Amino acid sequence: MLKSASGAFANVLKRSLVPAVRVSAVSVRRSHGGPVESDEEFDNRYEAYFNRKDIDGWEIRKGMNDLCGMDLVPDPKIIKAALHACRRVNDYALAVRFIEACKDKCGNKVNEIYPYIIQEIKPTLTELGIDTPEELGYDKPELALESVYHM
Amino acid sequence: MANYLMRRALINAIRVPVCARAGSTGNTELAKIGDREWVGYGFNGQPNYVDRPDFPLPAIRFREDTPDIKALREKEKGDWRKLTLEEKKTLYRASFCQTFAEFQAPTGEWKGVVGWALVLSSLAAWIYMAMKVFVYSPIPDSLSEERQKAQLQRMLDLKVNPIDGLASKWDYENNRWK
Repeated sequence: MLKSASGAFANVLKRSLVPAVRVSAVSVRRSHGGPVESDEEFDNRYEAYFNRKDIDGWEIRKGMNDLCGMDLVPDPKIIKAALHACRRVNDYALAVRFIEACKDKCGNKVNEIYPYIIQEIKPTLTELGIDTPEELGYDKPELALESVYHM
Repeated sequence: MANYLMRRALINAIRVPVCARAGSTGNTELAKIGDREWVGYGFNGQPNYVDRPDFPLPAIRFREDTPDIKALREKEKGDWRKLTLEEKKTLYRASFCQTFAEFQAPTGEWKGVVGWALVLSSLAAWIYMAMKVFVYSPIPDSLSEERQKAQLQRMLDLKVNPIDGLASKWDYENNRWK
């Protein structure tokens, strides 16, 4: 018992004194921030996220809300994957809402980016039977909401 | 799957029986949402509904599950191309209160704000005028132009501040400003 304990202790001591791995000439730079994800990796990560077969409504909403909180417009392939995910959980409203949110993300470049997005996702829209917000008449205010102060 | 089970367990743990909901204090949020389906995390984990552009998908659906909506949700499980435009819109409005175009539409509130700001500023001007007319005594004689000129002449006569001040700028030989 004592022998094994002292042996273990010696081992620990040895390991702490002698570096186990020689520092190689080309070492990984240990700096702030860590590795930076490229745009393609980001797109692929989110596409894979939405493409998961057993994704549920909570996770879809989480992914979409996260995307809407970022300083970017989601790539059409992410949007396509998200629309398919909406189809799998049978939530039509979610799909339309996400297209609206992506349109909102275009900011003041909406006239340049949004037609491109629609053009890219058009096959998916027709395949799944999703109407764009414009086709539903949601590009302009449809209903007025009574002010809560006047109820 | 484990994720899903854990969430179900959590929801069941905080869910209270319907009869206990009405007056309970601990679960006021849950008591408020009625039969609405809790569909996501939302923006703070509470079952609440707000139309926000930065969190477009709130935690609960906007409308409660009526039999009509339930029937429509069954139909939604089929081909979406077979849904009519009306049904699509109903589905959207069951989940969400306002569209982006609606909750981002200008309210025109700025007109009232600017109007009231101007009204109150002019009110301040009227108060100032009233004070001038009814409250303050007339300004002193020493502020009249000839009194001020006399005062300046007196200062020059006294050679006030002759090194780098008033008197240094007056030419006493020619009686004019340097």
